[in-house]
Amino acid sequence: MENERKLTIARAMAEAVAQEMRADPSVFVMGEDIADLGGIYGNTRGLLAEFGKERIRDTPISETAFIGAAVGAAQDGMRPVVELMFVDFFGVCFDAIYNLMAKNIYFSGGNFKVPMVLMASTGGGYSDGGQHSQCVYGTFAHLPGMKVVCPSNAYDAKGLMTAAIRDDSPVVYMFHKGLQGMGWLGTEPGANVHVPEEAYEVEIGKAAVVREGRDLTIVSLGQGVHHALKAAKTLEADGISAEVVDLRSLVPLDRETVLTSVAKTGRLIVVDEDYHSYGVTGEIIATVAEHDLAALKAPPRRIAFPDVPIPFARIMEQYCLPNPDKIVAAAREICPAGAPAA
Amino acid sequence: MQPSKETLGWMYRTMVTSRRYENAIEKIYLEGKTPVFNMARGPIPGEMHLSNGQEPVAVGVCAHLKPEDIVTATHRPHHQAIAKGVDLDRMTAEIFGKATGLSGGRGGHMHLFDADVNFACSGIIAQGMGPAVGGALSRKMQGKPGVAVAFIGESAVNQGAFHEAMNLAAVWKLPMVCVVEDNSWGISVAKRTSTSVEHNHVRAASYGIPGHYVSGNDPWKIYEVAGEAIARARAGEGPTLIEAETFRLAGHFMGDTEGYRPKGEKDALVARDPIPAMRARLEADGTFTADELDALETEAAATVDAAIRFARESADPKPEDALTAVFA
Amino acid sequence: MATDIIIPSDLWEGDEESVITAWLASDGATVAEGALIAEIMTAKVQNEIAAPASGKLSILKEQEAVVVKGDVIGRIG
Repeated sequence: MENERKLTIARAMAEAVAQEMRADPSVFVMGEDIADLGGIYGNTRGLLAEFGKERIRDTPISETAFIGAAVGAAQDGMRPVVELMFVDFFGVCFDAIYNLMAKNIYFSGGNFKVPMVLMASTGGGYSDGGQHSQCVYGTFAHLPGMKVVCPSNAYDAKGLMTAAIRDDSPVVYMFHKGLQGMGWLGTEPGANVHVPEEAYEVEIGKAAVVREGRDLTIVSLGQGVHHALKAAKTLEADGISAEVVDLRSLVPLDRETVLTSVAKTGRLIVVDEDYHSYGVTGEIIATVAEHDLAALKAPPRRIAFPDVPIPFARIMEQYCLPNPDKIVAAAREICPAGAPAA
Repeated sequence: MQPSKETLGWMYRTMVTSRRYENAIEKIYLEGKTPVFNMARGPIPGEMHLSNGQEPVAVGVCAHLKPEDIVTATHRPHHQAIAKGVDLDRMTAEIFGKATGLSGGRGGHMHLFDADVNFACSGIIAQGMGPAVGGALSRKMQGKPGVAVAFIGESAVNQGAFHEAMNLAAVWKLPMVCVVEDNSWGISVAKRTSTSVEHNHVRAASYGIPGHYVSGNDPWKIYEVAGEAIARARAGEGPTLIEAETFRLAGHFMGDTEGYRPKGEKDALVARDPIPAMRARLEADGTFTADELDALETEAAATVDAAIRFARESADPKPEDALTAVFA
Repeated sequence: MATDIIIPSDLWEGDEESVITAWLASDGATVAEGALIAEIMTAKVQNEIAAPASGKLSILKEQEAVVVKGDVIGRIG
C-alpha cells in the first residue's frame, strides 16, 4: 500500500480528538490522568502539549461531579469528551449518565442538545478482577437515550470518535483495553490497521461485514470480533465458511445487517464478553427470532461470559471468557461439516 | 497515650513484615513480566499496588484494634491486612490466585476478605466508607462491641461516597473512624491540583466531628491520634476524621513509570524511610537492643517466607470453581 | 540502497531489553521518511521508531519480538 500508516486504537482515538479540537474550540477533554499522563490507555496522548490545561483537564476522583458537569457544559454550547477510566466505575456516577445525559434531550422535547462523548475502557483477560474487567455493554445499550459504540480496530476507532464528537446526542464510546495497543495489556495485531490522516467519520449505527461467508454468521463487537475472525480461519479448514459481522454500534443497533447475513447463512453464533443473560447475545438472537425465525437452520448459540462476577485467578477467568476455540466448537455443533453453499 | 514496649515491638515487627512482604511480592510479580511487561503473565497476574512507605499508618491505627473490630481498605491493602491480622498464608495464596486463598482465587489482591478478623477491601475509590459505616451501625444496633475503621487515600476524599458516609456516621453518632492516607498522589495527579484544601482533616468541620492531621509518617504520632479517635468511638462519642501524611515509595501500580513525579522526590523519600527511622529511634532511646530488633526482623522474614512458600505450593483452583460461591 | 531501521542507543536509559508492541506499517508498504512506523516498549515505557528513509518497508523482527539497542528490526528501500 502507498504510504500505509497503521495506528493503534489508542493513537487513533487521540488523533480523532485532536483533529476535532483543532476544528472546533468548543471541544474539550476531562478525566482522570488524561492530561500529563496522556491517559492510562494512551488515548489522550499529546493533547495537553497541543491544547493546554484549559481544554485538557485532569479531574479529581469525582465522577459524579465531572460527568454531571459535562452534561451541563454540553447543554450550554460546549462539546465535552469525558473519560470514565474503567467502565466498572459507572456505579459511582450512573445518575449523571442514564438519568441526565441520556434523558435531557427527551425531557426538553429536543430543545436541549447534549453533544458529549463519554469514553470508557472495557474488558478483561489479564486478571484485573471483578471490578476492573467488565464490559457491561448490555447495561449501557439497554437504557434509552444514549448512543453506544464499540470499535474493534483503529480505523473504526478514529471514525467513530469523530462521528461521536460531531453528534449532538450523547455517545458512550466503549473501548476494549486489550485492543488499545498498550504493550502491558497484550497486543492484538488485528486491531492496528491503516488509518487515513484526514478526518473522517464512521457512521454510528452501521455494522460491518468484516469477513464474508456462506454457512454461518458470527456476530460480535470489540475483542470478540478478533476471536471470531480467528475462529473463521480455523473453520475454513473444516470446510465451514463463516461470515463475521462487527456490530461497531450497539445503539442504534444495525439489525438489518445481522438479518441479511442470517438470511443468507441460516446459522448464528453471537459472541459477547459481557455477561450472558439480559444482554447483547439475547438481543441479537431475539432480533432474528422475531423477524425471521424460519431463516434459522439450527438453534442459535451464544458465547458470553457466565453470570458470575469476574474471577481473579487466571485459570478461572480464562475458563469464563469467550475465545476462538469456543466459537469453533459451537460452529462444529451447528454446521454440518463441509456444508456446501445452500 | 504512648505505646508500651510490647506494642512498639509489635509495631516494628509488623512494619518489617509488611515491607519484606511487599518486596517479596514485587519480585514475584515481575516474574514472567520481563522483558515484555504484559500484565497477564507470571505467577501473580493483573495489577499490583504496593504499600512500601505507608506502613506507619497501618500499624499506628491497627495497634488499637482487636479481631472483632472492622476494617475496610482499598486497592493498596497489604500493610493494613497484615496489621489487622489477616491470615497471611491464605492472603498470599489469594494474591497468587490459588484454591487455598481467602476466596479461593476469586478476589485477588484488591479483594481480600477475612471474616475471622473482619477485614475487607475493594477497588473502587472511597466505596469502602459505606460498609464501614454499616459495620459500625450494626454493632451499635446489636449492642455488640467494636469500632469500624475505613482506610482511604487522600484523593478519595473528593469522591461523593466519602461525604455521604461521613455525614451519616456523624448524624447517627456511629463508632467509626475514617483514616485518610495522604501520599500526595492520585496516580499522576498531585493532591494540590485535585483538592480544594491543603489538608482534608479540615473537612471534618462540615460534619461537626473532630478532624486531625498527623504529619511526618511517624508511627508514634499516628498511634497517639488514632488511639484517641478509637477510644472516642468505643465510648459512643461518634466518628473522627484523621488524615495522616505518608508517602509511597513505589509507583501507583507496578508498571507505573512515575514520569509525573518531580525529579529527586523519590530519592528524598527513600531517605525518610519510616522503617530504618523507627529502628534508629528504638535503639537510641534504649527501648530495644540491636539484637532484639534483629530477632524481630528474623521473625518477620520467616513469616513472609512461610506465606510465600504456602502460596507457591498450593494448587490452582479448578476452572469451574469460577461458577460457584455467587450466592449464599 | 537499503536503509536499516536500527533501535537507537539513546532511546531509553539502561540496557534493558525491549519489545516491539506494534508495527505501524505492513511488510511491503511504502513509508515516508520521518513517519512513525513502530512502537517499542521497555519494561515500562513506550517509545517510538520513525522511518529513517522513504521507501518500501521490509520487516525483519515481528511484533512481540524482543530487541535490544542496536538491533536491526527492518529495512527500507
